[in-house]
Amino acid sequence: MPRNIPLFTFNRCTSVEVVGDNELRSVCRLRDSVTDAEIAVNVRLPDLEIIGISGYFHHDRLQPPADLDAHLRRVVGVRVGSGMLKIIAGLLGEDENCRQLVYMVEECCHGVILNLTRKVLLQAPDDEAGSFAFFSGLVKKSTRLYDRCAAYAAGSPLVREFEAEKQERESSS
Amino acid sequence: MSSQFMRSKLINVCRLDNNTLVVHGVLDDSIYSLELDFKVELAGLGCFDVEGRWLRWTTPECPRSLEFIRLVEGLKLTDPVSERVHKTLGRRSCRHYANLFLEMVYAVRETVRMLELDLPGAALSEPEPPAEADEAGDEPEKVSSTVASPERTASRGFSQKPAGGFIVDLHLHTAPASPCASDSVAEMIVVAKKRGLDGICLTDHNYLWSEKEVQKLRERHDFLILRGNEVVTDQGDMLVFGFHEEIRGVVRLRDLKEQVAARGGFIIAAHPFRGFLTFAADDIGLTVESASRREMFKWVDGVEVLNGRVTENENRLAREVAAALHLPATGGSDAHQVSEVGRCATLFPAPFHDETGLVAALRSGDYRPLSLSGD
Repeated sequence: MPRNIPLFTFNRCTSVEVVGDNELRSVCRLRDSVTDAEIAVNVRLPDLEIIGISGYFHHDRLQPPADLDAHLRRVVGVRVGSGMLKIIAGLLGEDENCRQLVYMVEECCHGVILNLTRKVLLQAPDDEAGSFAFFSGLVKKSTRLYDRCAAYAAGSPLVREFEAEKQERESSS
Repeated sequence: MSSQFMRSKLINVCRLDNNTLVVHGVLDDSIYSLELDFKVELAGLGCFDVEGRWLRWTTPECPRSLEFIRLVEGLKLTDPVSERVHKTLGRRSCRHYANLFLEMVYAVRETVRMLELDLPGAALSEPEPPAEADEAGDEPEKVSSTVASPERTASRGFSQKPAGGFIVDLHLHTAPASPCASDSVAEMIVVAKKRGLDGICLTDHNYLWSEKEVQKLRERHDFLILRGNEVVTDQGDMLVFGFHEEIRGVVRLRDLKEQVAARGGFIIAAHPFRGFLTFAADDIGLTVESASRREMFKWVDGVEVLNGRVTENENRLAREVAAALHLPATGGSDAHQVSEVGRCATLFPAPFHDETGLVAALRSGDYRPLSLSGD
């Protein structure tokens, strides 16, 4: 086989759209050399509660649960947010036949979070000083960003002000 | 109907030579665009020559992540790698690179299966979960009028406590009982005593301490140590007291309530509004009224309104919801390491000495959350 022809190709696309008042629909589609699958999750705002889910899953080797939609509906009522990964995995099962399904549900949920994140990021100014102020302000608002990645690691210019304020608070209290 | 957000991931796996695969991945979405390349030696599925490129990013410091991109070099892709990738690439570099890397690992494993290579002990089809926002800070603050205020000590750090109260940290994790915790129960107890607490509750994730073990700890440290449990339910994490049945996996909160109530136990909604990295509950329009309608509040006996690992706004919303629903309010550090022990706790008016006493005290509703943090 020629070396520049892939042995395996993979294409995963997740999209989030508004489908009504206070409702988002997040769809994760996977096509790769052995899989054809789609999971759609409907989420109600502002609670980010999963209110509907459906999908299909075809794989050369793996067998999804017989009544896939019924199986997926176990996650109806779960909220998109912190702690959701263990809840989704726990409800859908973690055996090999379900792992990719679980991952796709999680991707749908992450799409919802990234969609909301994008709205915050759209407020960032374009100029250098404004952008710096905006992103260093984010860590003050949400301290869980601190040390979360290279950009917000201890000592990064983006967290210097945050670190100084924290130190000042600690020494004055 | 138009898409508000779209994320595409494209990956291909080619054969460089008889012993090597070359893997190329692209993640392109409505925020970021990045690429990752690495090679895999077929003999043992070791990963090497990792390279990354940013095409679009957000903060001015995102490019720093490339300095750490090689942290995954040497990983054997036959082994479960998710946790390690999240902790190294995800935390020190960028979680989006970690996400793409794990998708590429999945692609490599499926390729190896297609090639029908015989690799020992491989969990080859395991897709591994994306990183999640779960880190939190903590802030004490003023409260709504109807729920007990989290009281704050005037002292610096953790060194003093208010006179006349009985302070118990109701939420604490230990290693190895909670895999996410980093310090042992003995280390936690020593620090809890030093910081002036009167007792702690061990609330390891879905883990049941035996009465014998806890009794030994009490005697060894001459300190009040009580058993609890942080149970994962479909409605989020719940602190459970006075209930000592083993719970595996995720349970429905409604079912848990039934079981706990039958044994006279007490359920507290833990950090009910722990949220996201870049936006808060009010950014998405969550109000006290809408938050109060959540299913979980039908089934809990109390609400943790002062958690040591969430933001000020998240604790505030929890307090306001507890007030609106007239549910008792507690505090707990949610400590996973000694530096966090006792940041937040619950102040009871009188001492108790065992789990029966704790549950009775919780049922009385006569207590308040307390911040002992200098923050």
